[in-house]
Amino acid sequence: MTRIVLLVYFVLVTGFLLLPLIFLLPISLTNSQFLEFPPKSLSLRWYREFFIDQSWVDATLVSLKIGFGATAISLLLGTLASVALVRSNFRLKGILTAIFIAPLIIPSVVIALALYIVFLRWRLVNNIYALTIAHAMIAMPYVVMIITGSLRRFDMTIERAARILGATPVRAFIHTTLPFLTPALFASGILAFFASFDELIITLFISGGLQTLPVRIWNDLSLKLDPTVPAVAVMLTLVSILGMTVGEIARRRNERRYQSNPISEA
Amino acid sequence: MKIRWSRTILLLTPATLLAAMLFVYPVFGVLSLTVHDGTSFTGEPIRQVFNSQLSIIVLQRTFVTAATVTLICLLMGYPMAYFMAGLSPRKRVLATYLILLPFWISVLIRTYTWIILLGREGILNKALVAIGLTAEPIQLLYTPFAVHIGMVQILLPIVILTCLTSILDVERDLVKAARILGATPAQAFWKVLFPLSVSGAATGGIICFILCLGFFVTPTLLGGRTSLLIANLIDLQVHKTLKWDLAAVMASAMLAATFTCLLAYWMLTRKRAEFATGGLAR
Repeated sequence: MTRIVLLVYFVLVTGFLLLPLIFLLPISLTNSQFLEFPPKSLSLRWYREFFIDQSWVDATLVSLKIGFGATAISLLLGTLASVALVRSNFRLKGILTAIFIAPLIIPSVVIALALYIVFLRWRLVNNIYALTIAHAMIAMPYVVMIITGSLRRFDMTIERAARILGATPVRAFIHTTLPFLTPALFASGILAFFASFDELIITLFISGGLQTLPVRIWNDLSLKLDPTVPAVAVMLTLVSILGMTVGEIARRRNERRYQSNPISEA
Repeated sequence: MKIRWSRTILLLTPATLLAAMLFVYPVFGVLSLTVHDGTSFTGEPIRQVFNSQLSIIVLQRTFVTAATVTLICLLMGYPMAYFMAGLSPRKRVLATYLILLPFWISVLIRTYTWIILLGREGILNKALVAIGLTAEPIQLLYTPFAVHIGMVQILLPIVILTCLTSILDVERDLVKAARILGATPAQAFWKVLFPLSVSGAATGGIICFILCLGFFVTPTLLGGRTSLLIANLIDLQVHKTLKWDLAAVMASAMLAATFTCLLAYWMLTRKRAEFATGGLAR
């Protein structure tokens, strides 16, 4: 009896959580000037509108550029730092790890205000490179968390064997540890990319006139309810679900591969 | 394998520089703005905030909203987690995917959908009128109600998952022992499982509370003028009234609250490992 009540409750709450997803698609397919549900006639009009409107296309390109740049920077710096955090012992390790991960926990608006003040002083507001680096800082916690986790599970004997066989430290790392880390790099890269791609508050403060996709949506929302937004939302959702699924598959494949690897059990 | 000192420093320098220049230094800048006006120490900004009715109301409202949303999430989330803990592992994974699905949509878009659902001409109002509960569409959007719904929808998955972990962490044998010793299922739940998992659920609540404090998008889009939270006020003070020092005081208050919560979190998790197993530490 209790199980049935709980099951009904589970379905209801899950429905509540998925509510936006369920309604977004039909709303985005409307043919009318206004948001309506149910739509009177179906069309891809607002999807077309997105690709015709230069400001939407530009915003998407800016977001992609910043997203890829921030992902690359955070992956590189985050991975290097993770190697040091896992493989060496020093007194400030705890504090340093906390600092690397803190941007994830500190409310974005605090970071936004802080960055805005220093960026104004350094004349970096409205600068796409500065924005990219700021996004890299926001994305780095994901990289550090995932890569340190993965590195701790790596069997160091493999890299040691490569060193004993005469490889330089860098060469040994590239040929043994890096292949092991690839799925983790991929997964953290996806998270880092979306951390940047979805970031709104910090971008609103320091972007000046520069419009990323979330800022473009935000500016649209404060003016009117434009039916292009649901269309963009559906496309974004599909892209992120796709990205996360690919990341998850990569993670699992790796888990299986290294579990059945006889060397690591030695 | 330990690596050499010089190499450690080389590996850490780029990331540390990034964090130092774009995180530590700016955040300390904000903290110092609250007590220092550029030339000398001053208590003026803090005094101004305490004398401003608006700031006090917004601060209060933020904490009350955060507490309410956290409470709702815990009350809604714990039974969800309890149900999921009873599923077979395969079904549990599926349920977890369902719960996490909305997580992959940006907060901006999830909030946006509520505008459509809750508006005067929105789906909910149409449904209410159709059933005959109300004759006229009622005002749902731009009320505290809408803000709470939006925030709960965003934060609930996190709370469900932390509750789930804490329930799964409880040693199953303890519940079994209680049943063997004659406890009814309800007694076994209230006297064993619930007390042992509640501290884990509390950590989920703390995370939820911290995240609530920083909400910006939801109160702006779904709330009216009477739903502004700290983040909105900081935005206004920076972009409209240009009172950076006041914004800095608000931001520091947020930081202080966050750190207090993190401290509580740390103390809870430190004790938890031995607690959840009821002394049967492995």
